[in-house]
Amino acid sequence: MVRFIIRRLLVTIPTILVVITITWTLIKLAPGNFYSGEKRLPPAIEKNIREKYGLDKPWYQQYGKTMWAIIRHFDFGTSLRFEGQSVNTIIWRSLPVSAAVGILAYILALVIGIAVGSIAALKQNSRWDYASMALAMLGISVPNFVLGPILVLVFSLSLYWLPPSRWGGFPSRNLILPVITLSAIYMAYIARLTRAGMLEVLRSDYIRTARAKGLSEKDVLIRHALRGGLMPVVSYTGPALAFLLTGTVVVERIFALPGLGNYFIQASLNRDEPLIIGIVAFISITLLLMNMLVDIAYAFLDPRVRYQ
Amino acid sequence: MARSNWKQLSALVLLLALACASWSCTVASSNELYFGKTDPPARNIFRYVTGDEPESLDPAISNGQPEARIYMALYEGLVEYDPKTVGPIPALATHWRPNNDASEFTFYLRHSGRWSNGDPIDANDFVYSFRRVVSPQVASRNAYMAYYIKYAQAYNEGAVFVRDQKTGNFLLAKDFEENVQEPLSSTPVDKTKGEYAPTAEDPNQPPDTATHESFHTPLRLTIPGDAKARTKLLNANAKLKAAVEGKELVPVKAEDIGVEAVDQYTLRICLTSPAPFFVGMLAHQAFRIVPRKVVEQYGAQWAQPEHIVTCGPFKVKTWRPYDKLVVERDPMYWDAANVKLDEIYFYPMSDNPTIMNLYKVGEIDAVLNHTVPNAWLHVVREKKDYMDAVEAGIDYLTINVTKPPMNDVRVRRAFNMSVDKQAWAAWRKIVKPLTAFTPEKIFPGYTQPTGDAFNPEEARKLLGEAGFPVTKNGDGSYSCPKFPKEVEFIYNTQESNKAMAEWMQAQWKQHLGITVTLRNMDWKTFLVARAKLDYNGFARSAWGADYMDPFTFLSLFYTGGDSGTGWQDPKYVALLDEANRSLDPHKRYELLAQAEAYMLKAQPVIPLDTSSVNWVKKPYVKGMYPNAGSLFAWKYVYIERDPAKWDLGTPSLAE
Repeated sequence: MVRFIIRRLLVTIPTILVVITITWTLIKLAPGNFYSGEKRLPPAIEKNIREKYGLDKPWYQQYGKTMWAIIRHFDFGTSLRFEGQSVNTIIWRSLPVSAAVGILAYILALVIGIAVGSIAALKQNSRWDYASMALAMLGISVPNFVLGPILVLVFSLSLYWLPPSRWGGFPSRNLILPVITLSAIYMAYIARLTRAGMLEVLRSDYIRTARAKGLSEKDVLIRHALRGGLMPVVSYTGPALAFLLTGTVVVERIFALPGLGNYFIQASLNRDEPLIIGIVAFISITLLLMNMLVDIAYAFLDPRVRYQ
Repeated sequence: MARSNWKQLSALVLLLALACASWSCTVASSNELYFGKTDPPARNIFRYVTGDEPESLDPAISNGQPEARIYMALYEGLVEYDPKTVGPIPALATHWRPNNDASEFTFYLRHSGRWSNGDPIDANDFVYSFRRVVSPQVASRNAYMAYYIKYAQAYNEGAVFVRDQKTGNFLLAKDFEENVQEPLSSTPVDKTKGEYAPTAEDPNQPPDTATHESFHTPLRLTIPGDAKARTKLLNANAKLKAAVEGKELVPVKAEDIGVEAVDQYTLRICLTSPAPFFVGMLAHQAFRIVPRKVVEQYGAQWAQPEHIVTCGPFKVKTWRPYDKLVVERDPMYWDAANVKLDEIYFYPMSDNPTIMNLYKVGEIDAVLNHTVPNAWLHVVREKKDYMDAVEAGIDYLTINVTKPPMNDVRVRRAFNMSVDKQAWAAWRKIVKPLTAFTPEKIFPGYTQPTGDAFNPEEARKLLGEAGFPVTKNGDGSYSCPKFPKEVEFIYNTQESNKAMAEWMQAQWKQHLGITVTLRNMDWKTFLVARAKLDYNGFARSAWGADYMDPFTFLSLFYTGGDSGTGWQDPKYVALLDEANRSLDPHKRYELLAQAEAYMLKAQPVIPLDTSSVNWVKKPYVKGMYPNAGSLFAWKYVYIERDPAKWDLGTPSLAE
């Protein structure tokens, strides 16, 4: 197992460097620059800015400097848009916001999704099943940029119950709407995956064996059925957690949260090269780590994987 | 499966019903006087959305209006924007005097100015800050605002003087240009007459100094410091090349620029040419002062909350980027007793519906300009907290005049005449139709020329003359088969821009029978395409005043290349120069209007409207006026707790 983890970690490093290189190239190819605006600048000022930030150097020098700082010190440099703010500081400042919303949404999605999915599977073809699966379908098909504003319209603007947006610290009432909006689609997927997984497992031989041995229905379901039935959910939730942790562009925009996703979209629109590269690298690392965790979790849940 | 589908449908219907019910709640509440809640905040705190996340708290960095409003809380300059007229009112300077041709200004500073760390403010702080903003190393985007100061542009561009080593004399600009008319600031000081008209308070001339006399010498020649650019320039001008040959090149230094601390509390600014509007520009962030000690100690980090030192009515309390910036009243501020708010919260946001939602539930007290979405206007505009006023800004379309068929002025005029600007303004609801290039009713005393009126008949005739005959079809529509298909309309991706593009497209289709292709692109890509004239046809444009003078609009075409049209005309430039040299303000406005009329005839643009400020503020927010620049001197703003004194409608801008 340790060798497996080390091997996976070693593969991760070149992957990240390739991702950074591709990102760097794409930014360089994109038209426009971080300092342009409706008010056009005189050429002399543009030249001064390019010299100040080393943008007048040949591309290989710029690339070399960027990569060297990353490899040597894991330093992504200073944001171009936000003078004097280092990319690492920005990431560590905004990550907790995205993570708080993401983890809450993740827990909510898991708890409700698995519960609803299990009930639907156990009471297959009942009213419960149809109702929950219809809701799940709705959750999958209604995008969060529609769901978010509807929730705001109802619970903030009409009922005045909850704040419509902004970060209010952790924990706060400001979190309720973004967490629900963010978790809806994951909740729906998890419910459907759980239901499908459970239905398959409930018909399998080992469940029949467990029942034949005279185990209580509770033991059969929780110790045996659920464990097998959740396999598809596990492989789905790993990457899902990575996405939830690193921020979601749409929800953070709608609710004006100072998270990574918000920075990411703004950095791209602003052509803020160091910040884009930093966030992309960070998201890739998280994603790769989560995938690795999923593989490890698989090994624990399914003995067959362990021996392969 | 069928049953499940039915469930799905019913759930959807339920959700939609809920949404509609809540929407009808919102609309039903339109009977109320104001948009949303009107409970004043518990403490004397003002909560405001100024726009997107500020780039930096260093006033030299950002040239944006959202940041300008933050800088107005944190920093002061010689003058401040008047809350109603946006003209200059005393700030760190108590009064000032222009010389006889407005090519030099002397400012008298108050003795009570203090930085937030308690250090006194004097004239040297201004000298340092003005030199800093034009320094090539700082690379400020605002440097161009200071180009009027003598040699500031040359210093910012890294230019060099040319000195004859034998005589020690510098080559002069007037020897290489025709018709150079030296302003007073470039002629030796006449000690007997003086250059300042005596005033009632101060009949004397400001003190003369050696630095002052060195400024008052004929303008020196400056050429590019960059060897490549210099060679190119010299190769194109044989006379210049011969004169420069073998001479010493002396880089223009910070000390060369025309700013002088005459004494501790007197500041003199010497300009390259007369600029009567210069004092009005001095409230811009480019001229707000920064603390030398702190800047030199911390470098690029100096404006971070842990180091920052400011000089405005407020100072930084906390700053959490993309969340909020809290500023509090600075007890060191010279006028702290008259600052009414305890704190201001600046929330960085750019999504208009999100901002309006926060406003409605009463979590913010006012929003930035251009924030009420078009689709909300019919509800919000009826409310008493809607700010209905014109802005010193215009919407227009640029035309790339370098590519056929738009290089033909008849074609450009035809397209302009077939846009019904009255209908456009009526459709946009809040803007005023415009045929000229300066906003209407913004600059008192300026008689604006009028451009071509809406006249599709004439437009079709012009197109025919240009070789693109327009024919009438049987069903009353028009077609223009010979007109090239490549003509397009480019805009940056945004819902309101798309609506505008489609509206224009429909106008030209209806009146000329021409279908212009629409092409959208992201903001930064769009800026490049427009600036580099990488489009054939029309591009969406808008311009807001940098200072309250028509020249801020007309100067767009002063030098070619940055107008996004490719139009350049020496006669236009000469008219503007003549206007700015004119000492009589009426004469100056007349000449500016002539220049504007001349430009409109060439039609490098299609003017559309004078824009509207379009924002909302709670009725209990007082001392904040919907001025033409949307710039607010925060020390005058306060929270009125007595509902009887609340604003019932847009507060008047009349004095």
